[in-house]
Amino acid sequence: MNLKRIIVVTSSLALAVAGATVGGLSGMREHERIRSGLPNLGLVSCMKCHERGLDSLPWAKPRPHHDSPDGIAVSPDGRTLFIALSDRDEVAEADVASLAVTRRLKVPGGPFGLALDTAGNRLFVACRNQDRIAVIGTRDLKELDSVSVGIRPTAVAYCRTPNGERLIVPNSGSDDISVLSVAPLLELTRTAAGREPYSVAVSDGGRRVYIANRMSVHERLLSQPASEVTVLDPSDGHVLNRVDLQSAHLAEGVTDVPVRGWVINSMVRVRNLIPITQVKDGWVMSSGIAITRHDGSVTQVPLDEANAYFPDPSGIAASPDGRRAYVASGGADVVTVLDLDRLGAWLDHAGEAERGDAPENMALSYRYVAARIPTGCNPQHLALSPDGSRLFIAERLDDGILVVDTTSLKPAGRIILGDRGLDDPIRLGERVFTRARYSFQGQFSCRSCHPDGHVDGLSYDFDGAGVGDNLLANRSLCGVAGTEPFKWNGKNPTLQYQDGPRFARVLMRTDEIPQPQLDQLATYIKHLPPTRTVPWSRVGQPLTPSEERGRKLFFATRRPDGTPIPFARQCQTCHRPPLFTNRLMTSVGTQGAQDSSGVFDTPHLIGVGAMAPYLHDGRARTLEEIWTVYQKDDLHGVSSYWSKEQLNDLVEYLKTI
Amino acid sequence: MNIRHIFSCRAFANNALLCTLILWSRGSTGAATTPTVAAVPPLPRISRFENFGEKDGLPSHKVHSVLKASDGRLWLGTTNGLCVREPNGAFRRYGPEDGLSHAVVLSMAEDTESGDLWLATMQGLSRFSGGKFTTFTQTNSGLPNNVVYGVAVIDGTVWAATPAGAGAYHIRSKTWKIFDQNNADMEEPWCYAIAPGSGVVYIGVWAGGIVEYDPKTGSFKAYRDPDGDFQFQLTPNSGPIADITSWVAYQDGILWQATYFGLSRYDTKDATWRTWVQDKTPLVSNFINTVFAHGRVAWIATDRGVSVTDGINWDNYIVGENGQGMVRTFRSAQDPQTRTMSTALANGFVLAIWADDHEAWFATSNGLSHALFDGPPSPKASASNP
Repeated sequence: MNLKRIIVVTSSLALAVAGATVGGLSGMREHERIRSGLPNLGLVSCMKCHERGLDSLPWAKPRPHHDSPDGIAVSPDGRTLFIALSDRDEVAEADVASLAVTRRLKVPGGPFGLALDTAGNRLFVACRNQDRIAVIGTRDLKELDSVSVGIRPTAVAYCRTPNGERLIVPNSGSDDISVLSVAPLLELTRTAAGREPYSVAVSDGGRRVYIANRMSVHERLLSQPASEVTVLDPSDGHVLNRVDLQSAHLAEGVTDVPVRGWVINSMVRVRNLIPITQVKDGWVMSSGIAITRHDGSVTQVPLDEANAYFPDPSGIAASPDGRRAYVASGGADVVTVLDLDRLGAWLDHAGEAERGDAPENMALSYRYVAARIPTGCNPQHLALSPDGSRLFIAERLDDGILVVDTTSLKPAGRIILGDRGLDDPIRLGERVFTRARYSFQGQFSCRSCHPDGHVDGLSYDFDGAGVGDNLLANRSLCGVAGTEPFKWNGKNPTLQYQDGPRFARVLMRTDEIPQPQLDQLATYIKHLPPTRTVPWSRVGQPLTPSEERGRKLFFATRRPDGTPIPFARQCQTCHRPPLFTNRLMTSVGTQGAQDSSGVFDTPHLIGVGAMAPYLHDGRARTLEEIWTVYQKDDLHGVSSYWSKEQLNDLVEYLKTI
Repeated sequence: MNIRHIFSCRAFANNALLCTLILWSRGSTGAATTPTVAAVPPLPRISRFENFGEKDGLPSHKVHSVLKASDGRLWLGTTNGLCVREPNGAFRRYGPEDGLSHAVVLSMAEDTESGDLWLATMQGLSRFSGGKFTTFTQTNSGLPNNVVYGVAVIDGTVWAATPAGAGAYHIRSKTWKIFDQNNADMEEPWCYAIAPGSGVVYIGVWAGGIVEYDPKTGSFKAYRDPDGDFQFQLTPNSGPIADITSWVAYQDGILWQATYFGLSRYDTKDATWRTWVQDKTPLVSNFINTVFAHGRVAWIATDRGVSVTDGINWDNYIVGENGQGMVRTFRSAQDPQTRTMSTALANGFVLAIWADDHEAWFATSNGLSHALFDGPPSPKASASNP
């Protein structure tokens, strides 16, 4: 009897458990099917949608900070060096003779770019993280004044004009340029730039300023990109010229060579419309400089040699006598010394066709490259002493300033700022990220396509079969932690997989990144915070009425007439907060003629306002175009009932995410 | 206690009327101060016209808009592209192949802060800056509609008048607002023109009169034809002459409304309206394309020539039957006078005007005219103490 009862009870329980399991699984599948709108999803992790909060993500947690040198300014007497330490929120003062750091000042907001006035009494500091320019008195090393500018100012230049002293500030995050008066410290104008204005040089005796725009713009799919050099009259902020550097991107540095009437930009010559797998042919990108004359004519020449590359050219400085220029290549840990006499002679004799071919002629650089100076890790900013006798190189990931004797081109010492942070896996990962040694012949680094971990605004041809056949838009790595899987086809479950052996063989065409370095790289990427797209003054502030209307539209479950919007076509279903992705594959009707599938990984939207172009191949130049040009049958959210005003509201909201 | 006396008198010099405003102030102590004399200059008198056409290098016979920028360069919006007059007098054209959004440039405005030129075209709004065009369309931006009739830059905001409302692009924040019948006091969204007022923005609305927008408060006020009839003027001098607004212009506290049924003038200081129609008043034609305000003088571009007025005196420049230039002058208490000129406007169908104290430019349907004035306005102004 007891045995019979036990069997009955046990069997009932087993059936109940089995039934519950089957029913539960069936229910879960139904829940997934309804909520995602994807019919054959299979069982996926609940975490796909029911994501943890952002606070638990690596980039939201405290991390070590380092004495990474950014902008440098040299006092008029050449004895004192000022160094921006954005990661520390500090500005350091160093004595050139003793190579010692003498004072430090807390300057909140990520001081990044520096400039001194003519007498060296006031130091102007571009604080990238708080959208402001701080004025520091150099005698007491105290902050005297501050003024708000555009989003993420990266540099500042000082000049005297007939209308008074001026500061010119490229705002990399808002794509504009602030022109400030100094006394009083006021923003006079804010002028539209190209994309991501990054550095600035005063030219023509203060009558012009040249602003280098780091990111290129391509007007339409399959058009060649071009980076703009914006030329302003600093006295009134009027735009004098907008010079396009064709096929150039990452044009980060700019310097004036008054003796020759040149302005020189560092730049990367990018070939994104040629299959990126052709690395062995040097077809992906190469480094060079662009020489712009005041009449707007431009000649590009390479920094690279046939089988030696010097990627990620950044800081650039020209000697006062105009005979030399120095270019820091952050991906190669090298500063290239250019003999401008020889370069000038070549320019004088080269015909138009020869100058036109020059950017692709890797056999040309021997004519004007005088030397290559090895440096510490990731040199970016440069400065020369006023007499040109000393070159100061910011070794960003080595926490030091290399001082070079420009006569011998040999190191004359090093200013030690920090401990190099070699016990910090994030910093070690950034070293991997910025080093080009992991690509074939050291042609490019991760940073070459992901400056500061972000996008470069380009679509690349990843198809080996043809030219421009299968474009894929670059995706930002900022805020990417927790958004796995990666890649537009969603095939890479982890960053290690994404950047692992297949990546090395197919894209970098070299040996894979060793596992310890690969882990460090993944750690670094996971700690990249999302890109800030709103002004610092608006962080934490309520949404504007327009943004709030856009937010309601984003989370709408019904049309205004009460008609339900299917789950699968609600914005929030695929772009589910807090990451604004459900990390699933979906189709939004954008399959192109060369796409083998129309199903793509759902990108996260944090910082989406700065991620143009949009959609998997970058066909949409703006957020608006996603719905005005490339929407099909309401597949990418139900937008057919939106008015133009509602679309504008939605775009304003998206820019706040 | 300050006492302000305002009165006017007439005096004639060089055949022009001088209106004098005398501002006489007394200090709080009662001591008299020297009277301040502000002279209203006479209407500018055109001595002759210089005309330019396709044979002179204009890209089209039809010129829609004309603007002399703050740097002195003359810009033309034509049916065949944007055109600038080079220092040597040659005309240089920019077209869609250069990045201009559409060949037909209807209106232009300068952003004096950046020196950029904003262009209203039949297919989008273009910015011309440093020799480079950037185009905003209804698909790639928040622009309400691709057909842009009028454009103005007001306090860092670019205003675009379109058939789907007035679009306001804030240059610094790069955000768009749309004002139409849903959120503004507009009868319908069809906007033709934008003009900066004193702290407000005037929107010329087709069939909706004039809408005044106060950016500080976000409030709207509509000025509508009180009789509601655009064919007959049943209630003159009591409001806009018609709701069909073809253009608006504002300066020195005076708002001018151009319609296809006459002209209106609104003095914002005392909230009074004046209206004019052809035949009954000196206005040369009811069909007004645009109006340009300089000081207290309005330059009125019509299908039959140009009227110039300060609200009291009028000069009409027309093209006679034989192509001769004629000016008809109307002065208070005088009979109208007609004089034949040695030169004439390039065409009587005038689309737009730009003028200052020294010259005027006329965009016409068959060429461009440049007007040179008779000598400088007399500096004399009659003044008298009360």
